[in-house]
Amino acid sequence: MSDNTTHNILQIDTFACAWCGLTVSAVAADGTRRNHCPSCLHSRHVLDHVEGGPSRCHGRMSPIAIAVLRTGDWMVVHRCVRCDELTSNPVCADDNQLILMRMAVRPLAQPPFPLEAFGTL
Amino acid sequence: MPRRTHARGRGQDRRPQRHKDVLHGRGGHRAHDFRCVHCRLDVPLDAPGTAHRNHCPHCLASLHVDRRTPGDRGSDCRGRMEALGVSARPDGEWMIIHQCRSCGELSANRIAGDDNALALVRLVLRPLTDTGIARRALLAM
Repeated sequence: MSDNTTHNILQIDTFACAWCGLTVSAVAADGTRRNHCPSCLHSRHVLDHVEGGPSRCHGRMSPIAIAVLRTGDWMVVHRCVRCDELTSNPVCADDNQLILMRMAVRPLAQPPFPLEAFGTL
Repeated sequence: MPRRTHARGRGQDRRPQRHKDVLHGRGGHRAHDFRCVHCRLDVPLDAPGTAHRNHCPHCLASLHVDRRTPGDRGSDCRGRMEALGVSARPDGEWMIIHQCRSCGELSANRIAGDDNALALVRLVLRPLTDTGIARRALLAM
């Protein structure tokens, strides 16, 4: 099935999301290449970032965090559910804003220490 | 300067140095500490709440020593890793996402009980404080 997906990217520039099954065009509206589903932000582990080159894992990568670059752009940090590797990818303009904001405020929902003391700072 | 009149003859009957039980050198009482690459803080390895401390509790910086699995010490990069963001596990536990400044590799580590709470909250609020994307996202919802 994973071979099918890569074939699809090469031939007709679409891929099926590994999580929600949405058929996504591999090129976003502004011409940049997409590597995660704009609806559920899940991705697929096809690049090996430790050694470089393609990865044989092909596991599903779930979004776990938002990172901010110095330029102010947001990156989505993905984690492979099979081999626990982390990648970061820039967000697209049409990515699901609800899931992006939910990931950004998710740590504040369960803080490990009381946040009331920061009100007096 | 006082003149030493009997400099040669007094060496033999000198009292030996006392035994010192405080050892500041290598292998002393801080043999297991590591020094933070960012703020030079001496950090003891035993941390409250975690058995695998890998970042400075003051500035949250770390060092790129592991290759694939945490603790394998297989990387020869030795670059400085800076805290990039915070992710929450499904059970609500916070993880710090580190990125190596020299090779761009990412890693995740649980927070420790003595980590700087202000630095952690600043890290969490970083996506929300910049004006552009967060405000547009909130307005679009």
